[in-house]
Amino acid sequence: MTDGERFVAAYLENAARLEAAGIDLTPHDSCGVGLVAALDGRARREVVTAGIAALKVLWHRGAVDADGKTGDGAGIHVELPQEFFKDHVRHQGHEPVPGRLAIGMIFLPKADLGAQERCRCIVETEILAFGYTIYGWRQVPVNVTVCGDKANATRPEIEQILVANSKNSAEERFEADLFIIRRRIEKRVLAEPITDFYICSFSCRSVIYKGMFLAEQLTAFYPDLLDERFVSRFAIYHQRYSTNTFPTWRLAQPFRMLAHNGEINTLAGNLNWMKAHEPRMAHLVFGEQMEEIKPIVQPGGSDSAALDNVFEVMVRAGRPAPLVKQMLIPESIGQNTRMPEAHRAFFSYCNAVIEPWDGPAALCATDGRWAVAGMDRNGLRPMRFTITAGDLLIVGSETGMVKVPEAEVIEKGRVGPGQTIAVDLEHGRLYRDGEIKDLLAARRKYGSWTRRITELDSLVKTGAPEPVELSAADLRRRQLAYGLSMEDMELILQPMVEEAKEAIGSMGDDTPLAVLSEHYRGLHHFFRQNFSQVTNPPIDSLRENRVMSLKTRLGNLGNILDEDESQCDLLILESPVLSNAEFEAMREYMGKTCAEIDCTFAPDGEGALKDALARIRREAEDAVRGGCTHLVLSDKPVAEDRIAVPMILAAGGVHSHLVRERLRTWTSLNVRSGEALDVHYVAVLIGVGATTVNAYLAQEAIADRHGRDLFPGLTLAECIRNYKKAIDQGLLKIMSKMGIAVISSYRGGYNFEAIGLSRALVAEFFPGMTSRISGIGLTGIAKKTIAQHEAAFAADSAVLPVGGFYRFRRGAETHAHDGTLIHTLQTAVATDSYQTYRKYADGVRRLPPVTIRDLLDLRPAGPPVNVDEVESITEIRKRFLTPGMSLGALSPEAHGTLNIAMNRIGARSVSGEGGEDPERYRPRPNGDNANSAVKQIASGRFGVSAEYLTMCREIEIKIAQGAKPGEGGQLPGFKVTVEIARLRHATPGVTLISPPPHHDIYSIEDLAQLIYDLKQINPEARVTVKLVSRSGIGTVAAGVAKAKADTILISGHSGGTGASPQTSIKFAGLPWELGLSEAHQVLTLNRLRHRVRLRTDGGIKTGRDVVIAAMMGAEEFNIGTTSLVAMGCIMVRQCHSNTCPVGVCTQDPALRARFAGSPDKVVNLFSFIAEDVREILASLGARSLNEVIGRTDLLAQVSRGAPHLDDLDLNPLLAQADAGGYARYCTQVERNEVPETLDAQIIKDARPMLEEGEKMQLAYNVRNVDRAVGTKLSHCITKRYGMTGLAPGHVTVRLKGSAGQSLGAWAVQGLKLEVYGDANDYVGKGLSGGTIVVRPTISSPLVTHLNTIIGNTVLYGAIAGRLFAAGQAGERFAVRNSGAAAVIEGCGSNACEYMTGGTVVVLGAVGANFGAGMTGGMAFVYDAEELFSLKANPDTVIWQAVQTEYWEGQLRALVQEHVAETQSPFAAALLADWERELPRFRQVVPKEMLSRLEHPVTREREKARA
Amino acid sequence: MSTKMLQFTRLDQQAPDKRPAGERRGDFGEISRPFLPDQAAGQSSRCEQCGIPYCQIHCPVANNIPDWLLLVAQGRMEEAWAASSATNAFPEICGRICPQDRLCEGNCVLEQSRHGTVTIGAIEKHITEHAFAQGWIKPPIPRHERPQSVGIVGGGPAGLAAADRLRRRGYKVTVYDRHDRIGGLLVYGIPGFKLDKAVVERRVRLLAEAGVTFRTRITIGGSGLAFAELRARHDAVLIATGVYQARDLTVPGAGLAGVHAALDYLVASNRKGLGDAVPAFDDGSLDARGKDVVVIGGGDTAMDCVRTAIRQDARTVTCLYRRDRANMPGSQREVAHAEEEGVRFEWMAAPEAVLGGDAATGVRARRMHLGVADSSGRQTPVPIEGSGFTLAADMVIKALGFDPEDMPGLFGQPALKVTRGGTLALDGPSQATSLDGVFAAGDIVRGASLVVWAIRDGQDAATAIDAYIQGKARAAAE
Repeated sequence: MTDGERFVAAYLENAARLEAAGIDLTPHDSCGVGLVAALDGRARREVVTAGIAALKVLWHRGAVDADGKTGDGAGIHVELPQEFFKDHVRHQGHEPVPGRLAIGMIFLPKADLGAQERCRCIVETEILAFGYTIYGWRQVPVNVTVCGDKANATRPEIEQILVANSKNSAEERFEADLFIIRRRIEKRVLAEPITDFYICSFSCRSVIYKGMFLAEQLTAFYPDLLDERFVSRFAIYHQRYSTNTFPTWRLAQPFRMLAHNGEINTLAGNLNWMKAHEPRMAHLVFGEQMEEIKPIVQPGGSDSAALDNVFEVMVRAGRPAPLVKQMLIPESIGQNTRMPEAHRAFFSYCNAVIEPWDGPAALCATDGRWAVAGMDRNGLRPMRFTITAGDLLIVGSETGMVKVPEAEVIEKGRVGPGQTIAVDLEHGRLYRDGEIKDLLAARRKYGSWTRRITELDSLVKTGAPEPVELSAADLRRRQLAYGLSMEDMELILQPMVEEAKEAIGSMGDDTPLAVLSEHYRGLHHFFRQNFSQVTNPPIDSLRENRVMSLKTRLGNLGNILDEDESQCDLLILESPVLSNAEFEAMREYMGKTCAEIDCTFAPDGEGALKDALARIRREAEDAVRGGCTHLVLSDKPVAEDRIAVPMILAAGGVHSHLVRERLRTWTSLNVRSGEALDVHYVAVLIGVGATTVNAYLAQEAIADRHGRDLFPGLTLAECIRNYKKAIDQGLLKIMSKMGIAVISSYRGGYNFEAIGLSRALVAEFFPGMTSRISGIGLTGIAKKTIAQHEAAFAADSAVLPVGGFYRFRRGAETHAHDGTLIHTLQTAVATDSYQTYRKYADGVRRLPPVTIRDLLDLRPAGPPVNVDEVESITEIRKRFLTPGMSLGALSPEAHGTLNIAMNRIGARSVSGEGGEDPERYRPRPNGDNANSAVKQIASGRFGVSAEYLTMCREIEIKIAQGAKPGEGGQLPGFKVTVEIARLRHATPGVTLISPPPHHDIYSIEDLAQLIYDLKQINPEARVTVKLVSRSGIGTVAAGVAKAKADTILISGHSGGTGASPQTSIKFAGLPWELGLSEAHQVLTLNRLRHRVRLRTDGGIKTGRDVVIAAMMGAEEFNIGTTSLVAMGCIMVRQCHSNTCPVGVCTQDPALRARFAGSPDKVVNLFSFIAEDVREILASLGARSLNEVIGRTDLLAQVSRGAPHLDDLDLNPLLAQADAGGYARYCTQVERNEVPETLDAQIIKDARPMLEEGEKMQLAYNVRNVDRAVGTKLSHCITKRYGMTGLAPGHVTVRLKGSAGQSLGAWAVQGLKLEVYGDANDYVGKGLSGGTIVVRPTISSPLVTHLNTIIGNTVLYGAIAGRLFAAGQAGERFAVRNSGAAAVIEGCGSNACEYMTGGTVVVLGAVGANFGAGMTGGMAFVYDAEELFSLKANPDTVIWQAVQTEYWEGQLRALVQEHVAETQSPFAAALLADWERELPRFRQVVPKEMLSRLEHPVTREREKARA
Repeated sequence: MSTKMLQFTRLDQQAPDKRPAGERRGDFGEISRPFLPDQAAGQSSRCEQCGIPYCQIHCPVANNIPDWLLLVAQGRMEEAWAASSATNAFPEICGRICPQDRLCEGNCVLEQSRHGTVTIGAIEKHITEHAFAQGWIKPPIPRHERPQSVGIVGGGPAGLAAADRLRRRGYKVTVYDRHDRIGGLLVYGIPGFKLDKAVVERRVRLLAEAGVTFRTRITIGGSGLAFAELRARHDAVLIATGVYQARDLTVPGAGLAGVHAALDYLVASNRKGLGDAVPAFDDGSLDARGKDVVVIGGGDTAMDCVRTAIRQDARTVTCLYRRDRANMPGSQREVAHAEEEGVRFEWMAAPEAVLGGDAATGVRARRMHLGVADSSGRQTPVPIEGSGFTLAADMVIKALGFDPEDMPGLFGQPALKVTRGGTLALDGPSQATSLDGVFAAGDIVRGASLVVWAIRDGQDAATAIDAYIQGKARAAAE
């Protein structure tokens, strides 16, 4: 066996073990993608060679195995060279029949010759059965030596079957037949015990060559491609980056139609709806063969493969590729004021037919006739294009992939959000975005079709008074029956009505998992919201609302392959959330088309619930079969003798039942639920399939409170509107966490993970949802529900209990941070008493079970050893950290105390987001070091400067936070003190926003890029990536390890927060036990574990927690809340209110004075925990933590929970993957190094500057593979001279060509980068004082303001410095800029988002959503076409003409500097005609800044000041 | 409207106005004036609404304090009253006499962090007084009557709390008490300036209106009603007699005239206040007027005695306690009140002898210092040699604590198990004693303790008795 084969065998065995433990090993992938097309429609060799050349400079967007040869996959899709293959046929002694032959490019099982033969036989049989003949098989010549060992071990036999069009079918027909034949073949093979069979392509038009080699080895592996006869009108190419290490050949791209960069966030919902659509799918082209091509989505594929499957079927059903792109990945209609009416009607039609496939997507596709490049609605992937004088269109993830002399470039552009460009290969014509949409919109009379859509809102919003039906006593009785409490009313409902927003809370969730609770918990407590991290980004539902939609279709959904007006016979609502009056009105409108089903049951024993659910499903089915197009599930009939069926079960049950019965698309599913109160409940209902939701009892509660005058100043109608708005906004937020923009793609997607629901129950009611540890089943639910109901109706008077779920109340839910134990611990650390600590630790152990680990106990590894033999406290303490808690959340005193304490003991503290005071970079006179050893870089990039990143030992990228994964944050103005504003480069008193995603991480290869950048700016620091526990985290962690992270932090859901929505604190994320064990297992499986450290956090309180975490795979441990407790925190949980009475989590000076913490207390805590660990290790017979890391065999489940549970099975957590001789902990001493970039040379050449301070000018050629140019040099300058030690322009680096990503990231003052050519994404990321100039070469004929010159997300998090670019920028220009000045000549959407400082001048058109969430700085936009007001986001900014001299001067000076730096003729022309042009500028000013500006922007204010 | 809370950063603590000490000394009226409604709302709004309400954790009856503070702050008085009375049968009594500085208020997060506690006790009193004034408080008449009955021995706080909770559940309840009035210590032990007698009477009246039968001047065992008879009459019996045996002073001269037990002194004063004829007072022996009074002890009873003596117009009143102020068991707040009213405290001083011929004329004492801590963590007082001094005293009051009487002997129930200290031994976590169907609550279980603990026990006992009776009923039905 070779090493590769051994790897493969061990991998498969391990994978089977982990899959049995319920771990989802589906890899995520992402990549670089591109397309070359002949604009004149002339097939030629140049197209193919350009595609091949482009692939060679995409390697950094993929990942390479340790063997240096095995890639994650690469491939190319080109036209079928008929002559090449016909020659081959002739060579074999046949004369090909006239017309096109077809090629099937097929992967066959390699080792099993029997299976191989069986496959060939099936292929031939199916072709012949369709009446076509076969020329024979061709073994594709391959050079296996370029393939890595692992890739070779899984390499299939690669052969082509040559098919003759002996039926002389028309080309379209032949192609359709080939599709049907392929599907038939695939089905037959699937029925056999054969695994390694795959058809890459099967077409008379094109062929796909792909495999698991490095992109640059494509032609070496497939010498065919070097043949001059390989000519084509298009080439689609792809480089894959996968989150696992197992080389799966079939997952290489391109697929049959498309190649995709990104990730489909809505996949789960899309797959479920495809199942629902399938029964109705039919089309003439397929005729009776329709069933042969179902299921449409084939198992075992990736998200891209699934999208390809659907894309293909829609193309085959006669839709051109550009149309299919619009249908599956439509542009967002919502609030797009600029969209022409015809396009609007067209997209409305698209949305009426099929749910969007949503998520980051850069797509290159072809149907043979059309070549298409398109982008998702949010523009979350880069896609640049170049048009050459030689009629080539070159599209790709980066600019500069194909070398074209600048003088031959006619145009440089980009494909923006929701945009598509298409080439009609037949007629040799390029259609730009507007043109292709015009063409498509004119295909049918979409305008009149969509008028058939009934907009229900006008019907339900009758203005009728909201009914109030229940008496106060009846209301209370019902609330009691649903387990609602006073806390729910005061803490959750009240703020929703008052503020029209979700209630905010702080600190982590320390209550038991619902399945472990002794109290009644609604079923929604068992559902944890999913969220995206790393492989796809969440969306900012607040600032980027325009791409989001709650539009809800009701009724009969038709055949998605049709194209006629009946598809628009629908009801549409703006939101799925209905008030009582609206619901009544809708019900009335539906009339007899609607059946109402009683979702209550009589308490006839525990089987009654089961029977009721069966009845409900039966009645639903009967109603739909009887022709009802609407169903209403209602638990309103609840009464003393009628118990409500948990509505989530009823809705999930009916939805899944109708899908199974293939009836779901015939009806809408509307629910009236009494239990629904908060956003999470509504989200669960929709997630399990409900169409609309009416929280009737919540509304009655609002009416009751309104009647008691608890909403002064609000009418009842306003109260209900506010509540609805809070739910709507909350729904958008929950969807956006998953990166889902459209509710139709969220509905029925089960974007949750169950904790503690029985697997059998989940399989029946919520099929496909993950539930790894099983738990409560129908019997248990029935028992709890009946008991709750009976108690409610037996109670003497109906008074709501006070609650205790969010805040501790005696007699209610357990909280792991117990009041008495907190005091015990505080005494222990204050008096340095280990004995008292022991009382605390023993007390924690005695609490009722709260977490998964409380069900586990430790097993000795051997006979106990003497404690003296165990590694020292000092050794163990090094593994401890205090997690990222920012200086905005904590008071400076508390923050500094933690840092000093952790530094004292050689442990580490994480700075949190928000910068660090430069004063802390030097130890205090007494030796205390208040500088955080670990610097966090989060989505807000506050204070993340070159210096900040240099002054640390480790950098932590916070992808997500346990208390609110997938969400951003907001530091309200009142917390932004002068000190905080200084550190964050912001204005005191002005709100600061952290976006939900890192705008430079939309995909795994982006993360790799950020890690690369960070390792450049700090060549010593290790890089940690902080993730939040969820299922699927294992593969994400593997991807992160491949991205060269040194440490992966798995955060549990219980982690703290300074402020988060209560439902996020309570219902998002998983316990770390689940995520950590999975990450450890999957990293071990992929042989990556020994190369990366694992860290965990989330409610770690004692040495026992540490040891259990170690056994589950962690080697380092964050202790957050408990370290705050040691400093005096008493869990007041008012961090968000700035009223922390003990001065830990507040900025109020009076309260900060109460801070009584000290480093000694913190040191004592960590010493005690370390000592505790030592004692436990000794008792287990271990001498060091390393001996128990990953040893899940030392853990045993000792409790299976309460008797009413079906089963609570922790074995999935304890499954072990074989480590294959590697350690189960990280053995890497040094950090994982990244390749050098151009800076290695620059630093060598700049020695006189760095050592002697000489002024220098250096010049180089640059290509897109040279990334982060200037970053490492900036590190050297910062180390030597400090961030502002050199005068601007001290060293100039001149670059010619296309600069790679992150040009000049964190460039500091003194460095000037001049690019002649263009640059890719992330130019000037974190710019810290440097100057960057990007301009076309002198020879370029391009008109600067009409062409794209720099990529997406430029100046993200910039702090200081200047940027001049003679051309347009991509999307998200100057996002979170806090101090840089920039001049560009146009930009894409979302520019200046969240900006807090600096000045941006745009001398040209801007994209949509300009200035969203911008709270500081200033922008000037040259608005010649007077479109700016349609593009700006008015929420936080105003815009006006430039009114004052001061600001005109500022603007003019910048434009002059721009001209001086770039020689832009366009800008020079503006200056020449300044008086006339000035009125065309719009000055954009944040509202909050208006009163704070030193120089007012309006004449009145200026006068007032004077 | 939670935004209205957390006002402590803006609003200072304000206790209800206290009458001036000079005025207080002249009568036995309560010393605090009630809160005005706005004042109560404002003070309630200072609450931090903590994630862990230490006030509740340290409240014996686990009052949901933050919740009713929120409701008061929002003016939702009826809900506040419902929330407050859900956990406490007599919140207006606790609001007056609980040593809040050692319970809720002392543990209030704001107090701990030196912002000044929320004035929980005063607000609690305000809520219920408001509810009385509004007529919200009705006799606890049950919705359904039950056939079973419960006999309660002792009409003090434990017995009355149990009576209230049991009656609400529909049981027939009879309370037996050896005194002529119902209320036990609430009436006879606690002076009126802390708890106005009308407050107790009001509750007793409500219970009576709800159908609770009160049998006064009845002793159990001995010559009185036989305990066996009591058990036969009722489906369950609750013993809530309290502890009445005063701990004695063991120094020379302890038997002299003018040396009195604290309770005798307080009962006489209270009876006088209620208008009863009290010969021992009228003859001057239990009247402190014009006397030099020395009270020995540092508990709440001692504080009641000194403050009573002041009001009786004693010449001097001195409290003698062997530990220091920080280590006294009584409420700091009471000490402050007493000092305001003119009481002298001799801390760290223990009596050596009562001086005098037939009657006491003085107390000889010596100074103490605090030695090492004992197993309970309290430092043991140790005498300082040669530090003796003498206080003039023609009235010496022993307030050294109480011990239980001999219950098994008194009731003629040798099977009734007691602890080494003589209190009734409970069987398991409920309030059941070793006798079937016999329960116990209050001081007779825990030894001399706070009224609020008695209420807690009484409420717990009601729950236990209910479970016991229902269990038996179910067993009988099967």
